[in-house]
Amino acid sequence: MTDLLSLDMLSDGEEVEVVKLAGGRGLVTRLAEMGITPGTRVKIIRRIGSKGPVEIYVRGSTLALGWGVARRIMVKRVK
Amino acid sequence: MCIRRRSALSIDRGVAIRLALAGNANVGKSTLFNMLTGGSQHIGNWPGKTVEKAEGYVKLGPNIIYVVDLPGSYSLSAYSEEELIVREYLLTEEPDVIVNVVDATALERNLYLTLQLLELEKPMVLVINLMDEARRKGIEIDIDLLSKLLGIPVIPCIATRGIGLIDILNVSLKVAREGSRPKPPIYGLEVEEAIASLLAEMKDLPIPEVYPRRWIAVRLLEDDPKVEEMIAMFGGSKVLGLADLLRGKLEESHGEPSSVVIASERYSLIGRISSQVQTVRIPMKQSITDRIDDITVRTSTGIPLLTLTLSLLLSSMFFVGGFLSSTIEYILNPIYSIGGGLIETFPPWIISIISGMVYGLVAGLTVVIPYILPFYVTLFLLEDSGYLPRVSLLLDRYMHRMGLHGRALLPLILGFTCNVPACIGCRIVESERGRIITSLLSLLIPCSARSIVVLGLIGRYIGVYTALAIYIFEIILVFLVGFVMDRILPGERLALIMEVPSLRIPSLNVILRKTWLRLREYLFIVIPTLTLGSGTVAFMDAVGVSEALATALDRFMNAAFGLPGFVSIPLIFGFLRKELALIMLAQAAGVDDLRLVLTYRQMIVFTLLTVIYIPCLATFIALAREQGLKRALAFSSTTIMLAFIVGSASNAILSLIIP
Repeated sequence: MTDLLSLDMLSDGEEVEVVKLAGGRGLVTRLAEMGITPGTRVKIIRRIGSKGPVEIYVRGSTLALGWGVARRIMVKRVK
Repeated sequence: MCIRRRSALSIDRGVAIRLALAGNANVGKSTLFNMLTGGSQHIGNWPGKTVEKAEGYVKLGPNIIYVVDLPGSYSLSAYSEEELIVREYLLTEEPDVIVNVVDATALERNLYLTLQLLELEKPMVLVINLMDEARRKGIEIDIDLLSKLLGIPVIPCIATRGIGLIDILNVSLKVAREGSRPKPPIYGLEVEEAIASLLAEMKDLPIPEVYPRRWIAVRLLEDDPKVEEMIAMFGGSKVLGLADLLRGKLEESHGEPSSVVIASERYSLIGRISSQVQTVRIPMKQSITDRIDDITVRTSTGIPLLTLTLSLLLSSMFFVGGFLSSTIEYILNPIYSIGGGLIETFPPWIISIISGMVYGLVAGLTVVIPYILPFYVTLFLLEDSGYLPRVSLLLDRYMHRMGLHGRALLPLILGFTCNVPACIGCRIVESERGRIITSLLSLLIPCSARSIVVLGLIGRYIGVYTALAIYIFEIILVFLVGFVMDRILPGERLALIMEVPSLRIPSLNVILRKTWLRLREYLFIVIPTLTLGSGTVAFMDAVGVSEALATALDRFMNAAFGLPGFVSIPLIFGFLRKELALIMLAQAAGVDDLRLVLTYRQMIVFTLLTVIYIPCLATFIALAREQGLKRALAFSSTTIMLAFIVGSASNAILSLIIP
């Protein structure tokens, strides 16, 4: 099994694939509806400060996720 | 969910069809709405909600088309107020045609809502807006193929330039008249089988026709509590049991909640569609906007940029507001003296009512309008350019402590000019809970009228540093109240999941149109209310109510705050306009130099009471319009309580320091 990371642990410009959403049902559904479903490719645009929001590029548009949300998205790096 | 008959508007004579605009936020939906309906629109709130409702009419040949602009939403799952409103409206009000507006530059995310709308099986048209921006980004969309794949008409559009509007209206009219219903999307085998068995189980349930059965089945698989409630109401406990079983099966085979399984299925459908209709060439010149983007959100550059923007904004509001205010006053002055001469012979109580009403009118014209006009222009400028969401990101970490997101700072900062625009500005805050906290806090921000009291009393008699200390105290108080509110208010803090729209150059034409429409609402609703309200207070004063109230308050003022009784009348008048508290204070005391009748301690306590105790009448009216009367009353009672606590505490503490 490859190493799982949470979305807040990455640096700018990295490309990852969503593996698992680890929140409550409401949060997980909302993330999925915004296009963050398991298997989706995500590119980190930038992190805004430590414990600040993370900006990501997903499915052709830019999303910002609060730190608490980003922490719950488990991803793996893609080459 | 309740089933309502078609709203009264549909029986309006001459309305041919009713059209509902639906789509994500930031897709130019409200711009399209403005371009379509022009000056015929009305802006209010959805009943019982703080979400804005915009409706209007457009004439196409002999036909009048009613247009409603539904709140921006990303899905129909009813997670937010906005989504719930959209869904309820589309299902129960039955518009003749749904016009789904999507952003050509973010087709994938936008089509998610489109698929959910198709499931409602109502006549529908897809409008692809921002075609020019998509072209600039190297995105080409095969309109005909998309139309064929979705089974509904698709119209390209550039709303800011009015391109595609006539097509939208013509096609909508045609679709609405034919009443053609689209086919809902087909999922994978596993989900389709689950839907089929649910449909079979639901066969005999007396579900009203407005709710498509297939949609209900899908929603049950997604575990939608509102739909479950409705099915239970129609005696479908067996259906609910089956749905539970099927959800369990889906979750077991995928290892995720069923709602995520279905969302994933929708996105894989969308992936197949977009790969067929969309070609993306990597654009050459993206670096410039990327750089600007970077500057706006990085702490090291973003904070200075925001500070600069805010100081420009505040100074322009003070400058433009001040200029407009004195101009209006200059024009009004001769009218005053002529009017004063005309009513001279009237009985005194009539004179006081009339002058009270004039006071209200003048307050409306010289305080409210001058600050609201520049406020709206700048707000829309910030909103349409895409800067606002970036401010939100930049400040998210700090505002979190009050349970707010970054953009809540904006109305609060604007409150320093006038609390009225601050109250209105609270609508940019994302959640209902956030709007409640922000509106209450905005009432405590020292506005320019309050600054007059602080500077005119404390600054003049005690010193600038004491005045500054009071200012700082007020700001600390705002943070404290925010902190406490976040802890005592029920409901969860909304997790930040936000789309960041591209930075774009806003259209001045659109901004001016939007500004005028909002301003018009104020001219015709708030100003008349303010005029009547002021007249009423003046009347109560004339018949001796305020005198009696002041006498009753006398002992209370002394016992609670150590203040002389004559301060009650100024405090009562402070409700009309905060700076009146200062003007009336000198009048009530009957001296020019207030040091003769008030100690420093009393001055400080009086100032604190004045700035906190209640929002002024104009703010109260704005608040009631934005948040509803009940909440406006609740907020005002909260500030009265707060003033009591702060006033008596400061009196007690200060008596120890200065006599």
